[in-house]
Amino acid sequence: MRILVVEDDAEAATAMVRGLTEAGHEATHAVDGAFGLLEAQKGGYDVYVVDRMMPRLDGIGMVETLRKGGDQTPVLFLSALGEVEDRVVGLKAGADDYLVKPYAFAELIARVEALARRRETGGVQTVLKVGDLEMNLIARTVHRSGQDIDLQPREFQLLEYLMRNAGQSVTRTMLLEKVWEYHFDPQTNVIDVHISRLRSKIDKGFDHAMLQTVRGAGYRLEA
Amino acid sequence: MHLPSLFRRTPFRLTLLFLALFVATASAVMAYVYMASASEARARAEASVRAEVETLVAIYRTRGGNALNQALVDRTLRGDKYLYRLRDADGKVVTANISDIPDGVDSGEWEAFRLTDTDAEGRVQKRQSIGIDTALSGGEHLFVGEDVGDIEAYLSRLTQALWLAMFFVLVLGIGGGLLVSRRVEVAMGRLNRVVGAVQEGNLKVRVPVKHSGDELDELSIGLNTMLDRLEGSMASIRHAGDAIAHDLRSPLTRMRAKLEVALIDAEAGKVSGVDALELALGEADSLLKTFNTVLAIARLQAGGAPDPKVFDAAILGRDMAELYEYAGEEKDIEFASKIEEGLFVEGNHPFLAQALANLIDNAIKYTPAGGAVMFRARRKANGEIEYSVTDNGPGIPEEDRERVLQRFVRLDSSRTEPGSGLGLSLVTAVAEAHCGRIELAEGPGAYDGRGPGLRVALVLPPAEAPDQTA
Repeated sequence: MRILVVEDDAEAATAMVRGLTEAGHEATHAVDGAFGLLEAQKGGYDVYVVDRMMPRLDGIGMVETLRKGGDQTPVLFLSALGEVEDRVVGLKAGADDYLVKPYAFAELIARVEALARRRETGGVQTVLKVGDLEMNLIARTVHRSGQDIDLQPREFQLLEYLMRNAGQSVTRTMLLEKVWEYHFDPQTNVIDVHISRLRSKIDKGFDHAMLQTVRGAGYRLEA
Repeated sequence: MHLPSLFRRTPFRLTLLFLALFVATASAVMAYVYMASASEARARAEASVRAEVETLVAIYRTRGGNALNQALVDRTLRGDKYLYRLRDADGKVVTANISDIPDGVDSGEWEAFRLTDTDAEGRVQKRQSIGIDTALSGGEHLFVGEDVGDIEAYLSRLTQALWLAMFFVLVLGIGGGLLVSRRVEVAMGRLNRVVGAVQEGNLKVRVPVKHSGDELDELSIGLNTMLDRLEGSMASIRHAGDAIAHDLRSPLTRMRAKLEVALIDAEAGKVSGVDALELALGEADSLLKTFNTVLAIARLQAGGAPDPKVFDAAILGRDMAELYEYAGEEKDIEFASKIEEGLFVEGNHPFLAQALANLIDNAIKYTPAGGAVMFRARRKANGEIEYSVTDNGPGIPEEDRERVLQRFVRLDSSRTEPGSGLGLSLVTAVAEAHCGRIELAEGPGAYDGRGPGLRVALVLPPAEAPDQTA
């Protein structure tokens, strides 16, 4: 996919462009909000990765301008400011996700891909299917190869998120933020415990393990 | 235009303004008093002259010219205060006790003139007089006047007194203005000196307070309170800076040592370069985490809880209980929770979640396998909202309980566990930023070779439940 990186720190931008390219994406770099805006208006991007603080036009200004112009391309905000109010301001301006610097590169890639993915699967779905796993969002039931799988409400939400991002890595932080809607550091790997319980429900008794652990990143649901 | 510095001072300028207003008002009042007194005195004199004229005209009418003449002579001899002059039809003076009556005073109008007289010591003086000429039926003219010199003197004394009063008002006003201005200037000078010192970075200065309760005192107290807070914030920021500098040194040193060992091992072919780099990355991450926590504590201590909102602590409690439900599973620790309903608090949701996460995580970490952790949220009898985490682990000896709340303090018994020693410090900072507190107590007590356990409570002031209809 095509990603526009708007970042005034040249070194950080180079590393980011290189990492995204290695992950199989096409990344373009703009040095500030004003150039970013010009580049974005050329169109064809799947995700914008925008630094919050930049000279000339900052990230907030750039995203607000894009949104006013009707550009709905997903935006991931990068910021050294991790405070709650900064996050709120960023999301209010029109950003879709918010990542605090410094971040693990796996986290950035996972979030960028999740944003692009969300865009592709726009529209209301009532049934999610990944391989032989099927989730009915209306009846709130889950089947794998015709077998009923009984899930707790939170496990259902967790699986739904994993299925919507099937084939892609999702990090523990993403799960805590998107499934539990909490922004804090849980210290121990509480997420791992929930994942392993979910794993025992969907993979136990099947030859093929769908819910995989991605080293250094998080988890991935594979068909 | 350059005015002397005194004139640029607000209190003095105000004094001058009020003085000008006062002088204008006083002048108007004095002018009125003067005019009223003068016209009153004049009216009285005129009335008495008119009464005398009437008496004399009556004598003339009833008893004739000679009788009038006789009456005038009598009155003059008696020393009456009136001035008389009777002229016959030809205009010749018949009787008079004055000589210098102005000419042409037969108009029947009031005339003002100056009378030449001698005082008791024989000094000649001109005295103000008024009089009126009356034409009698036989063609004679009778002039009756009165010496109003005393009135004039009175009025002039009055005027003098008024001027003198005005002078005193001016002198006292300017003097008072200078005095007030000086006083205010001294007080402002004190304030300005403090502000100046603060500008130069000295936060220790304070304005002396007189406790007189006036507004300058209020300002001084306000300024001092502001400086206290500022100094406190600066101190805690400086303290945090020192703490970061000091406390990051040991993890950095540790990291450096590990990297060095890894490098030696990698050179010797014992470990791969990838392993060494992964180790470095892991160390860098934990360092960043420590750094972020120190920063969060400093910000909480300096600025209180950011972005406070009223929310139900019970919902947060249930979410946390659900999140940590299976966290003790690996260690075979039983985790249970008991959450009451409708516990509204005001605060920062993510920070409180972080605080609870730290407490629950600590309990699970320090409770030996097979133990139990109980998480509760309730409203205390006094209305306060209390989260508590109780375990039946080894607990903390009473003498150490204060100490573990400080930054980077780790008891010897816990050194083997991973952690930064910041968990409880952050909880304390979160509690204090929400006007709450943290309480450490013994758990369920020693039994079955366990315990005595630890009970950590995060107590928060309650908030009004938000209006459901809104």
